[in-house]
Amino acid sequence: MSLPDPIKEGLARGWKVLGGAHGALPPSITCDVAIIGSGAGAGITAELMTKAGLKVVIIEEGQLKSSTDFKQREPEAYASLYQEAAGRQTKDKGITILQGRSVGGTTTVNWTSSFRTPPTTLKYWQEKFGLTDYNVEALAPYFQQAEERLNIAPWQTSPNENNELLRRGAAKLGIHAEVIPRNVKGCYNLGSCGMGCPTNAKQSMLVTTIPFALDGGATLLVETRAEKFEIANGRIQSLSCIAVKPNATPVNAGGPATQVIAKHFVLAGGAINSPALLLRSKAPDPHKLLGTRTFLHPVAITTAIMANTVSAWDGAPQSIYSDHFLGTQPIDGPIGFKLEVAPLHPVFFGANLPGFGEKQAQLFHRYPNANVMLALMRDGFHDQAVGGKVELRSSGQPLLDYPLTEFVLEGARRGMLAMAEIQFEAGAKAVYPGHEMGQGTTTWADTKAAINALPMKPLLTKIGSAHVMGGCGLAADDKRGVTRPDGVHWQLENLSIHDGSIFPTSIGANPQLSIYGNVNRLAQGLAKRLTGKAVTLA
Amino acid sequence: MSTYGPPHLQRRSLLKLGIASAVVLAVAGGAVALMQPGLQNGKLTESSRLIFSRVGQTILAGTLPVDEGPNQIAINSLLDRVDAFIAATPEHVQAELSQLLGLLATSAGRWGVVGLSSDWHDATLPEMATAFAAMRVSSVSLRVQVYQALHDIVSASYFSGPESWAVLGYPGPRAV
Repeated sequence: MSLPDPIKEGLARGWKVLGGAHGALPPSITCDVAIIGSGAGAGITAELMTKAGLKVVIIEEGQLKSSTDFKQREPEAYASLYQEAAGRQTKDKGITILQGRSVGGTTTVNWTSSFRTPPTTLKYWQEKFGLTDYNVEALAPYFQQAEERLNIAPWQTSPNENNELLRRGAAKLGIHAEVIPRNVKGCYNLGSCGMGCPTNAKQSMLVTTIPFALDGGATLLVETRAEKFEIANGRIQSLSCIAVKPNATPVNAGGPATQVIAKHFVLAGGAINSPALLLRSKAPDPHKLLGTRTFLHPVAITTAIMANTVSAWDGAPQSIYSDHFLGTQPIDGPIGFKLEVAPLHPVFFGANLPGFGEKQAQLFHRYPNANVMLALMRDGFHDQAVGGKVELRSSGQPLLDYPLTEFVLEGARRGMLAMAEIQFEAGAKAVYPGHEMGQGTTTWADTKAAINALPMKPLLTKIGSAHVMGGCGLAADDKRGVTRPDGVHWQLENLSIHDGSIFPTSIGANPQLSIYGNVNRLAQGLAKRLTGKAVTLA
Repeated sequence: MSTYGPPHLQRRSLLKLGIASAVVLAVAGGAVALMQPGLQNGKLTESSRLIFSRVGQTILAGTLPVDEGPNQIAINSLLDRVDAFIAATPEHVQAELSQLLGLLATSAGRWGVVGLSSDWHDATLPEMATAFAAMRVSSVSLRVQVYQALHDIVSASYFSGPESWAVLGYPGPRAV
C-alpha cells in the first residue's frame, strides 16, 4: 500500500504550475496579488487572499518536491530542499544556516516545533518599537486559528530517549522542561522531518495552504526567482523574474523569464532573501534600516556519549524543551537561551562532530549512544546582540554579515555549561563541547573546567542556525522600521512583507507559529482592505 | 607582482576574490599568476582529486580501510561523492572552492595555508595529521576556515554514502 501524494494528485486535478519541467513561463503575468515565496508567511497569505476571491500568483525560486520525492536521505534533501545545499554561511563563515528552498519554504524541512510568540518578546516590541497592538490578547485569536488550521498541539506520544534525557537531566537539577507542540496529523514518529515528511503528516505549507490556494485557482511559478521590483512614485509597478536551476544558477544567463504585474505585492521570501530582493530593487530606505537587525538564534552545541542507547535518528525530532535559561536574567541582560535537542542522521552527525582522524573515528562507532543538545540564543535584545546585516554578492544573491560578538560567545559558553551538566545528570559517559579545541571529558567537574578554559572565538566555537528572522523589521514609525504595524512597507504603498523578516528582534522560540499567527492577522487586514471581505484561517 | 596601477588598488580588487586571495597576499603575490582553477566544469581536476584523496585519508584516518586496495576503492567512491556534493552548491561556493584548490596545489599555498612542506603526493599521514591539527586551531582565521571547509566537504560526502552506515551503526531509514 503506497501513501498518497497530495501534490501529484493536485497536479493531476489541473493545478496551474509553471516553471522548470512544469511548463514555460509566459512573458508576463497579471494578477491581483503576487506573493514572493511559498513558505510560512506566503502560504498563510495565499490561502486568505484566495478565500477573499483574489487572483493570486505565487513565485518560488526552489523546486516543487513532494512526499514521493522524500526518501529520508540527507544528500538528496540537502541538495534539493535547502538554501545553498544546507551550507548557507555568514560572511566570515562563523555560522552555518539551515534555511529552506522549495515549495513550502523552510516549513517543508523544519522539525515541527510550534510556539506562540513569548509575552516577554511582545512586551519588548511594544516598548522599543511602539508596536502596541502586538500583545498577547490581540494576537490570541490569530494564533488559535493557525493552531487549528495546522493541527498544532502538544506532542502526545512518549518522547524518544534523545528528548527524554533532556527532561530527565534537567529535572535532577530542578530545571523545568516541557512538551513541545508540533504541527503534525497522523505522525508516524519517524524523525525524518528535516528531509521532507514522506507521509504528509507534517502540516507544512506544502500540504495545507499552498494546495488550498492552487485548488482555488492560484498560479504557482517554481524555479523562478523574483529578481527586481520596478519602482516608481512610491509603488511597485512590476516584478521581473528569472529562471534558476536547483543550485540557484540563473538559466539563460539571467535573462528575464517573466514580468509579474499585480495590484499588490506580498514579499514572503523569508529573512535574508526578502531584504536582498529589496536591496536589488534599490527600494527606498531613508534610515538605512533595510537588511539590518537580521537575527539567527545562534546555536551552541554539546555532544554527549550516553551510557545507554539513544538512537537519535529515530522518533519525533524535537518533543521536549526548556525555557529555564530565558528566565534567569532580564530579557535585555546577558543573552538567554532555549534548550532543545537535535535529531542525528549520518551527515549531520558526521560533519558536525568536532575533530578528525583516529580520535574521531572511535566516536563514529558510538553514534547509537550520541546526543546533541542545542542552546538557541535569544539575539536582538541587547546593544551587543544587534544581529547581522544583509549585503548583496556580485551575483545579486544575498550574503549575511553577522559578526559574533563576545557578548554572544559568552552566552555560548554558558549554554555549553548548562547542557553539559544536564547531559551528565542524564547519564553521559563523556561530553564534547562544540568547539575546535573541545576535548571529550568524562566528568562534569572536568567538563566544566574545560569549557571555562575555552577561548570563545568565532570559527573556533561551532555556531549554527536554523531560524532566520528580521531585516525588514516592524515599527510604529519609519525611523525604527522598514514595515508598518499593518505589514505594509513604510515607503511602498502596494508592498506588504509577510514573513519572518518583519520581526524586530529574534523571537526566543522556534519561529514558525510566530509567522503563521502574525501573518494571519496581517493578511486578514490586507484582504479586508483589498476586497472589503472578512476572511479567517479557521 | 606585476602591477597595473598603484599596489593598494590592486590589493583591494584581489581581496574581493575571497578566501584564497588574502593568503596569496601574505604568502607570495606571484602565485596568483601560476594558479590553475581547481574545478573544471564544476568537477575536481586531477590535481584537486589528489588533494582531496590525501585530505580524505587524513580526515577519515581510522575509518577508511587500511589496506591499499580497499583504501583506493573507498577514496575513489569518496571523490565521486565530493563531485556530487560540489555540483549541488551555488556558483559562488564553486568559484571559491576552485580558487582555494588552485592555491593549495601550489607549494606556496600548501605551505602557507596547510603548513605542509612535503607535496601532496609524498606527505605522510602523520605529517598531514600534524598540519591539520595546527590549522584547526590556528590564530589565523583563514586557516581555520580552510580546515573547516575541507573537513566539512569530506565528512558530508563520506557520510552521504550508505557504506558509512555500518561504521556508525545506522540502520537506514524506516520503510513507510
